[in-house]
Amino acid sequence: MKLAYYPGCVSLSTGKEMDLSTRAVSAALGIELEELEDWNCCGATHVSNELVATGLCARNMAQTDLPIMTSCSICYSNLRTAAKQMEDPDVKARVNAVLTKKYSGANIRHALDVILEVLEKNQDLLVVPLKELKVAPYYGCLLTRPRGVDSPEFPTILEKLIKNLQAEPIDFRLKTFCCGGPIFMPQQKAAEDIAFKILSEAKKAGAEVIVTVCPLCHFMLDAKQKALEQKRGEKIGIPVLYVTQLVGIALGLGPEELGLNMNSVSPMPMMEKVYERIIE
Amino acid sequence: MPDFDADRKFKQDVLRMAGPEVQTCIQCGTCSASCPTAHLMNPSIRKLIKYCLEGRKEEALKNDTIWLCTSCLLCTVRCPRGIRPKSVVAALKDIAEREGIKSKDAAYEQIFQKQIREYGRISELPLTGEFLLVFPQAAVQSMQMGLEMAPRGKISLEIEKIKPAGREEVKRIIEELGGE
Repeated sequence: MKLAYYPGCVSLSTGKEMDLSTRAVSAALGIELEELEDWNCCGATHVSNELVATGLCARNMAQTDLPIMTSCSICYSNLRTAAKQMEDPDVKARVNAVLTKKYSGANIRHALDVILEVLEKNQDLLVVPLKELKVAPYYGCLLTRPRGVDSPEFPTILEKLIKNLQAEPIDFRLKTFCCGGPIFMPQQKAAEDIAFKILSEAKKAGAEVIVTVCPLCHFMLDAKQKALEQKRGEKIGIPVLYVTQLVGIALGLGPEELGLNMNSVSPMPMMEKVYERIIE
Repeated sequence: MPDFDADRKFKQDVLRMAGPEVQTCIQCGTCSASCPTAHLMNPSIRKLIKYCLEGRKEEALKNDTIWLCTSCLLCTVRCPRGIRPKSVVAALKDIAEREGIKSKDAAYEQIFQKQIREYGRISELPLTGEFLLVFPQAAVQSMQMGLEMAPRGKISLEIEKIKPAGREEVKRIIEELGGE
């Protein structure tokens, strides 16, 4: 399988482990990735003018004829929304008038969806079954909204993947609750309140690890976890892995290949448990 | 005296940007009930839409509601009338930016968009740095996150740029498509 890969801006800094693990897992699963030529920012959640947002995404999508894969749910949602907007002939004409390479259509896929598809056909690649590992499936918003791989109200694709790795998805009430990430800079308190609620709920539900599909969710739950614990006086201590990192562990890839040393809350104690359970 | 012409134009601008279906709002409040930051909003997102439809420009623009939207799209997914409340918020942000209404939130969006316009990509460190000049109160949080990220090699000192031809194209997208 050959796909175009759209890493997104975060992959170059605070989401490096997302990019590393995406590339490593793709290679291990025989998915060939061709990085999108000279890609630009998708606009994230900060470009208010919808036509501009569509134009920025259309420029990316016009760079290839291959299906485009991304690991970032924000990029994913924006590209899909733009593709939908470009179905309107008037929008398409206006956008194409300013593009160098013209847009003619696109197939956008999230890494989660691609990985699950390949994994289901290649169960023999799972060399480290994540037996009994209690995983909180955290979808956040933009994987499924406004339209995506699964239901925006009751998605189950993450649970399906988690079970495929022989781990146990926990019943996680806040799995589609927003992490607050997009407003964390100017509206710090509002964002932190939301993120802490999610972490606290995951702890109550008995999660050993939280799995995310978006770098902003990851930032809010992992990078901010220690600061939030200090502020609220409540210990959380739950590692937060990108879905590609969790899959990578099950494929037997090494911590460095998956950027596990880049996570704020170390997943190493959890890894030890995983290995102990296999030996038992 | 209220400026009736300006208020009518305001309503038309919102409808043009967010879609004519906004007029079909039945004020059911599903949007507000779905919103993760609803408890902090005044007016609520439901009321904000009402203000737009009544052309109450001042009341619609001068509040924190649009800046508390996390773009989670739950309102948009659930609206029984097919309205995209998040697009109403986006339209209001666009109008606020054009009219030069200043706030820390507007500044953050402007810095973000300026980076895209100039470089084609976002570099998180300069983005944060520039925002701190506008809103130094974010310094504690930024330092904390910097200390978290730096030892893990997750802070890039480089300004990410796409190729010159790409930058020209991105600039054209923003200026020509955003100028309407």
